[in-house]
Amino acid sequence: MDIARRTEWKILASPLVVFLLLFLGFPAIVNLIYSLSQVSFESLRSPTLTGPQNYLDVLTDSSFWSACWFSLRFGLITAVAECLLGLFLAIFLAPLIEKHSFLMAPLMLPLMVAPAMIGLMYRLVLHEFVGPVPYYLYTFFGDSPSFLNADNAFWTLCVVEALQWTPFAFLLFYMAYQAIPLEVRQAAQIDGASPAQILRRIDLPLMLPTIVVAFFIRFIDGFRVFDNVYTLTGSGPGGSTTSLSIYIYEAFFKQGAIGKAVAASVVLFIASFAVLFGLNWLANRRRKAAA
Amino acid sequence: MRTSTKAKLSVLAVLAASLFASTAQAAVTVLGWPGGSEETALRAAAKAYNDLSTVSADDKVNLIFFNRDGFYDKLQADMAAGSNAFDVNLLATYAIGRYAPYMEPVDLGPDAAKVFGESVLKTMQFGGKQYGVPTDLSLHFMYYRKDLIDALLKDDAAKAKYAEISQKYLGKALQPKDPDSWTWDDWAATALYFTKSINSASPVRYGTVLQLKNLLFNIMVFQSLPRSYGGDWMDAKGNVTIDSDAYKTGLKLYKTLYDAGATPKDSLSYEYPETNAAFGSGQAATALQWNAAAGDLTDKAKSPAVADKVGIVAPPAGPVARADHIHGLGLGLNKNAKNKAGGVKVLQWLATQDASLLYAKSGGSPALAPDVVAKIATDRPDLVQLGKFASAYGYVMTGGTSANALSVYELQAKEFTGYWSGQESLEQALANTKSGMEKLLK
Amino acid sequence: MKILRWIVLVVAVLVLNFPVLVTLITSFKSGAELSINPGFWIDQPTLENYAKILQVDDRLNIFGYLANSLIASLIGTTLAILLAFPAAYAIARGGFGRKALMPAIVNLRAVPLIIFAIPIYMMFQWVGLLDTQLGLGLILTIVNLPLALIVLVNAIDDIPLELDEAAKIDGASTFQIMLRVVRPVIRPALVTTFIFGFITAWNEFLFGLMLTTSKAVPMTVGASFFFAASGGGVQWGPASAVMIVGALPPMLLGLVMYRQISGSMTAGAVKG
Repeated sequence: MDIARRTEWKILASPLVVFLLLFLGFPAIVNLIYSLSQVSFESLRSPTLTGPQNYLDVLTDSSFWSACWFSLRFGLITAVAECLLGLFLAIFLAPLIEKHSFLMAPLMLPLMVAPAMIGLMYRLVLHEFVGPVPYYLYTFFGDSPSFLNADNAFWTLCVVEALQWTPFAFLLFYMAYQAIPLEVRQAAQIDGASPAQILRRIDLPLMLPTIVVAFFIRFIDGFRVFDNVYTLTGSGPGGSTTSLSIYIYEAFFKQGAIGKAVAASVVLFIASFAVLFGLNWLANRRRKAAA
Repeated sequence: MRTSTKAKLSVLAVLAASLFASTAQAAVTVLGWPGGSEETALRAAAKAYNDLSTVSADDKVNLIFFNRDGFYDKLQADMAAGSNAFDVNLLATYAIGRYAPYMEPVDLGPDAAKVFGESVLKTMQFGGKQYGVPTDLSLHFMYYRKDLIDALLKDDAAKAKYAEISQKYLGKALQPKDPDSWTWDDWAATALYFTKSINSASPVRYGTVLQLKNLLFNIMVFQSLPRSYGGDWMDAKGNVTIDSDAYKTGLKLYKTLYDAGATPKDSLSYEYPETNAAFGSGQAATALQWNAAAGDLTDKAKSPAVADKVGIVAPPAGPVARADHIHGLGLGLNKNAKNKAGGVKVLQWLATQDASLLYAKSGGSPALAPDVVAKIATDRPDLVQLGKFASAYGYVMTGGTSANALSVYELQAKEFTGYWSGQESLEQALANTKSGMEKLLK
Repeated sequence: MKILRWIVLVVAVLVLNFPVLVTLITSFKSGAELSINPGFWIDQPTLENYAKILQVDDRLNIFGYLANSLIASLIGTTLAILLAFPAAYAIARGGFGRKALMPAIVNLRAVPLIIFAIPIYMMFQWVGLLDTQLGLGLILTIVNLPLALIVLVNAIDDIPLELDEAAKIDGASTFQIMLRVVRPVIRPALVTTFIFGFITAWNEFLFGLMLTTSKAVPMTVGASFFFAASGGGVQWGPASAVMIVGALPPMLLGLVMYRQISGSMTAGAVKG
């Protein structure tokens, strides 16, 4: 019986596995070979094996580490901002949206726009001579800050990213909030709990799994950010807005350092796998401890 | 069983038919530079070519275009993977070393040298071989506001202020001059004078617009400044000379202007379109910008604020020379082309006088020999100017066509913008550039 | 309190959609007006930018791009769900691959997929999938799989096991339980996956750029054809119009499908 079921699980999962092996297996093998070779665009079909040199190059490259730092900070800051804002909007606006569900639509709109286009739109919005933001700042305050210089670009990008993806967190949180049965809240109310207490003791704990998932998804998306940064600032003055994805892209296409680019992504893959594995392990231990 | 075999057969038949259909339509597929005047001109040229009675049905030209963002990245991926999606593809002077391995040299025929002249043909040569036919030439113009400069030159009080400002920022008291006789210091002094935060009487907000985004093309705009002080990438012996005084002077002058606020605050994210928008808005007195912008900036419908006040001269002079970066765009033959013979025919036709004149009349910017350009001087006076500047001031850096030239520009863009934005010292930036260039150019 | 909620809502909508609104306004300004009027009002509203981009010729065919995006995105989304749903069921209920398969796939989200571009390019060239809607759709499937799997595994995890057990006692096979019992319950999650998947697919840029040349060019890539309408720079007017047109289909989808979500949400709330 058990064996039969296990076979069934395997059958169910196999289309996915086969698909991935087909479309990522071959590229992954090619990439592994490239990461251990000296290879350029001219020698794509005949790379020369050189061992772990590419990995050493990556790990000793200071711009690799500053790109890691950029991505890490960017991912954390934007994920926190998006979750906080999303949570606030989801709970604060829930009574309105329950009554008028169409109000959801305009709040979700930013999600529908390509991040690459959002980056381009901000090039327009923030442009000192054709953009409305500097225009009105000049009109009302007589001055406008530099949004995209080396000091401010990071924060401008954070705001751009957070404003686009807050609706994602909001949407997930709103759905989780709606899924909390009314009776639970009513029961607490009858017991004399204040709205703040209900929020802290009932809503938030019940929404916690969703919050974790949303945070996690937003963190990895922020961590690997590419499109909007690429179209808005590129790698930034002196490389100051080089995220890891941009680092890899530039190594790949701009420097033609294919081995190095692929090695960097292998490092990234292993690192994130380790983090994920660690998280899983922690979760399992807690589950066991609870049981 | 029988039906399924039949079904399979019919699928095969359809596949074969579609395959046949595509071979029957065999043509010469040409990949062009999208979106600009180059495209308009190429379309007109292709139409004329296809209408020739001597061109067989198999050799008709079919145009395709990639998208402009990431054009070279995609082209690189295509060519490296051995694509045969196009027979003839775009080529640029600064990228010729990178793409030559995937291309085949072409013989352009005996007329080419007469039409373009040897120096222009050279922009499409690598390793002594001709890889393509030159179609368009790019260089930089110094755009300035005639109304502002004229007023300045007439006003004695303004001249005193001008001298005072140049003394303060540049360490010497300068007098306003006609833009065509500017040195870089004159230009800088003008830029500072017309900056509102420095001179509250300035009618415009900024004296100039520098395009300082970390982007290779912006370095091309910049490098005429160090060049005119005698700067070069390498000396005759092949040593990298990027840390020369010429480069130091040039980099410092840009930094002075940026720090003084003579260019918009967000200049570090500016490239071609932002620069056009800034100058076009009427809030900047000067801009060093590509020749391609001339059309838009002098068009009343597109730039109403400045169109009739724009003056155009070659970039300012330095103590050693007056220099203007040039590079050519052209078309060459893909090594994996399906229809090589047809491709060569198209390229040879493009190198004829008739074709190049048609290309110029349709909006392209070919660099033509003096006696050829004279034939269309009334239609395209700017081409005369283009040719004049190119032959008088045009230069290509030593190593500027090598296989890694693009990567050298990328490196300089990163390091120079690092210095301008205050993230690293001049010495540090030049040391990094030098060691990187030594690896790339060895 | 109610007024405050309305104020917050309006402010949130305006701020979140700010770039889109500015782009919308810009798309109705003529080139000449743009260079002198950066404000929110429009002196002389014009449709010239839209007229310009909706013109079809042999190269710029906005309807072709829209069709390519639609087909490739539909393939990419549907296939991702078809693959991810059974696998998610196996992972959630059987614990199959929770330790290795799941983290590996989720990790795909953390890796810039562009590094697969060159091998995939060579592979596609070999089997003739370059510049086809199907080829692009297959890549979009890969792009969509991680999120589809996370959302669906979580949704199935939330269903009480008793539901499966009850069906099993009634004699249903695993496959039947998956389709007849689990699928209806997680319908909202499937819809969400579909919407997000479609939007992600529609908005994908890099693979669209790398893997298509002319026949299968998607909207995001085609849009940038219009950016450089003359002279090489971004022409803000037509660029704005094309961004609006390109963003319209996913926005409409979100609008229409949202009702369905909230509808099935209220229905699904009974389950608790």
